[in-house]
Amino acid sequence: MTVTTTMSATPTDGSGALYELTGITRSYSKGSVTVSALRGIDLAINSGEMVSLEGPSGSGKSTLLQLLGALDTPSTGTIRFAGRNLEHESDAELTELRSGEIGFIFQQFNLIPTLSATENVEIALIPRERSRERRQARAIELLTQVGLAHRLDHLPSRLSGGEQQRVAIARALAKAPRVVIADEPTGNLDTATATEIMGLLHELHEREGVTVIIATHDEEIATQTTRRIKLRDGSIISDERIS
Amino acid sequence: MFSLSYVINELRRRIGRTLVTALGLAAGVGLVMGIIGVSEGLSNAQNRVLSPLGSVGTDVIVTRTVAPTTSTASTTTTLPTSGFGGGGGFAGGGGGGGFFAGRGSTGLNAADTQTLLSANSSIITDLAKLGKPGTQFTHDFFVPGTLITFPTAALADVAKVKGVQSAVGALSLQALHETGTVPTQVATVKTGGQTISTTVKPPTLTAAQRLAERTCIQTAITKEFGSATSTPAAGASGNSGTAGTGRIGGGAGGTRGGGLNFGGISSNPAIAACLTPAQKAYQQNVVVPEQTVRQVLNAPTTNTATSTYTVAGVNIANTQSGLVTTQQLTKGSWLSSNAAVAKTEVLVNTAYATQKGYKVGGSITINSVKYSIVGLVNPTLTGNTADLYFSLNYLQSISSSTGRINEVLVKVANANDVNAVAKAIKAALPGATVLTSANLADQVTGSLSNAHKLANDLGGALAVVVILAAFLIAVLLTLSSVAKRVREIGSLRAIGWSRGRVVRQIVAETAGIGILGGLIGIGVGAIICVIIGAVGPALSVTSSGLTVGASAVSGLIGQSTTSAVSTTVHLTAPIHLLTILIAFAGALIGGLIAGAAGGWRAARLAPASALRDLG
Ligand SMILES: Nc1ncnc2c1ncn2[C@@H]1O[C@H](COP(=O)(O)OP(=O)(O)OP(=O)(O)O)[C@@H](O)[C@H]1O
Ligand SMILES: [Mg+2]
Repeated sequence: MTVTTTMSATPTDGSGALYELTGITRSYSKGSVTVSALRGIDLAINSGEMVSLEGPSGSGKSTLLQLLGALDTPSTGTIRFAGRNLEHESDAELTELRSGEIGFIFQQFNLIPTLSATENVEIALIPRERSRERRQARAIELLTQVGLAHRLDHLPSRLSGGEQQRVAIARALAKAPRVVIADEPTGNLDTATATEIMGLLHELHEREGVTVIIATHDEEIATQTTRRIKLRDGSIISDERIS
Repeated sequence: MFSLSYVINELRRRIGRTLVTALGLAAGVGLVMGIIGVSEGLSNAQNRVLSPLGSVGTDVIVTRTVAPTTSTASTTTTLPTSGFGGGGGFAGGGGGGGFFAGRGSTGLNAADTQTLLSANSSIITDLAKLGKPGTQFTHDFFVPGTLITFPTAALADVAKVKGVQSAVGALSLQALHETGTVPTQVATVKTGGQTISTTVKPPTLTAAQRLAERTCIQTAITKEFGSATSTPAAGASGNSGTAGTGRIGGGAGGTRGGGLNFGGISSNPAIAACLTPAQKAYQQNVVVPEQTVRQVLNAPTTNTATSTYTVAGVNIANTQSGLVTTQQLTKGSWLSSNAAVAKTEVLVNTAYATQKGYKVGGSITINSVKYSIVGLVNPTLTGNTADLYFSLNYLQSISSSTGRINEVLVKVANANDVNAVAKAIKAALPGATVLTSANLADQVTGSLSNAHKLANDLGGALAVVVILAAFLIAVLLTLSSVAKRVREIGSLRAIGWSRGRVVRQIVAETAGIGILGGLIGIGVGAIICVIIGAVGPALSVTSSGLTVGASAVSGLIGQSTTSAVSTTVHLTAPIHLLTILIAFAGALIGGLIAGAAGGWRAARLAPASALRDLG
């Protein structure tokens, strides 16, 4: 599999492994109760893969995505991203990583309700791009790509679920990330719209060569990816590549 | 730093929250503006009331007053006749320079007492000249009351004191308006009596002289009464050396004194012949006042009715400092600068004019002289407020006080030195009563004083409570807003916003709310202040002041004068640029504090909270 990362500035190591996770556990303690969300994950994900994470509710999909997205740190184990050991990174460095390398797409879309479609996309560019004009141009370009050229000034509340998720995809792509992490991106959408969104993610993956990791309940969606990882009770129970 | 359009959109599209928080701050700073305004309004009112010293260029008043307790008060005494012809009488006398002559004594010395009595006695001496005995009379007498007059030369003494910028003389008199029947002989008036004792020690007799005298007297007595007395009266008198205790102005006492003894002795020529020449000479001296006293004995008392008012003299050449100034003119015009015209003019205290129904353009007749009322003045409360103001020179002439004043109004070069200068004047002029505006302020009571105290004591605390409450509301609303935006803030962190950027964004939002709150608050405060000014609650002030003819002379003359003066001031709540800036800054600070709280909360949110299912 060849990797074409045209927009990434960070050099990758020769092995092509974007993520290397070893012995990852993550447990949450609430008072005296400790919940083990992940129990010993060893996983490597290469650049350009399109991975689906499947598993029942509470199996640890979201927890794993948070670790992959540098939103959270594991209880034990190490995560290497593009050769960097995230264990040793400060909050500022992780923030920097998120602002440049990682795009997020959420089940609830998570748009800023008081900002228009364009402004929501711009928000993601603020840490990196100082020029407002260029931010705006880029936002419009991306929104046009996801088919929302006619909805630029709409507030999220005036957009359909599918349209909101398109704005979220545009926002995730705005920084030209190396990886896009999507937590049940179609969970709140009807089948037709879900298909449209998956189409967009496929296009993104194929055209830009972006690594895509999708957590889903939906087998339909999982079958559309190149690698299916199944979780149960915080452990990987199967990991198959589809050629 | 932060996204301005995000801030604006956030504030605009969450207008409800924005307005509630902003209005909370606005109410807070608006109230604070009102409190500042009221507090200042009260200060202004008090200053206006206390301004005889402050605003008319007088910092210190120097007077010579009588201590209110005089043991000699209310004794019916017959005064010598024309000997004390009003103020002029004592001017040249030994007691005339009593004010500054009495250095080293703070109390009233005998000379001063005499001066005071004499000055206040013009009533009696003049009575007989009022008309035929038995006819009705109406006359106004001007007396200095408790404020002893002194020569204008004293001004120079005061002016010499370091730190004194200027010293202006003034004359405040009590006017006694008397009506009654002209007495047949000489009037008797209740007034202070005093005893002047003269002790004269006759030369001590030599043993030979004493023996000769005793022998001589014994011989005379034996001749007269036919028996020898072991202890002759004259012998005792000679031994003690006390000869003749005469009560001047108390004729009866005089006749009962040593004079009687000598009278008894001297009535017997045989015994008188025995006295030494020195004793004879003294005896003659005592006899003379005895005759004077007899003339005034058995004087009838008159049935006079007296009412009082106060008059004061103002320097027509100086309209900017004095007991009353042109600033206090409420109606009409000032006394003419031409002395000849000014002597026919009078300024009337507004309160007195209201009471008496006097109007500008009207006239007042005093002792058959008609004065035209040229203006009404509103002299400030404390200090000397007179009912009528004449030209100083003219008042001096009609009250037999030419060249004399009883008050020095001092302006101090540096306002901070008032107390020091007052002390210096007191040190330089012992016996002088030195009053500063601070002394006068202490004498002010009434609702204004209470309100001002309240404003000082409670206003500050109230302002603090109000502003803290407003800040607390803003903080709570911001925290609740942050709590509602957990997913949004988490998402910002997830897409690469740093902690600092999120905090700045929230602080920028609340700062915007603060600015809005400040603007609304200025409006709220302005409305509060305007309403207070429009309603204008009335505040009353009572001052014991330094009214002429106060207690001591009331006691002396047997009258009571109301020395407390009341006035009413309307409260206003002024607004200044500084108040506006304080209000605005207060709201902005409130916004920033709320932002700091919200930012602190947001900074603690984990980026992972973007993924949490919070509905
Ligand atoms: N912040 C947290 N605090 C405590 N427990 C947590 C937290 N996040 C996740 N968990 C627990 O960890 C386990 C894994 O949760 P996770 O959200 O990863 O599951 P999931 O597979 O994403 O489920 P779903 O399909 O419902 O989204 C669950 O038992 C959950 O209750
Ligand atoms: Mg989940």
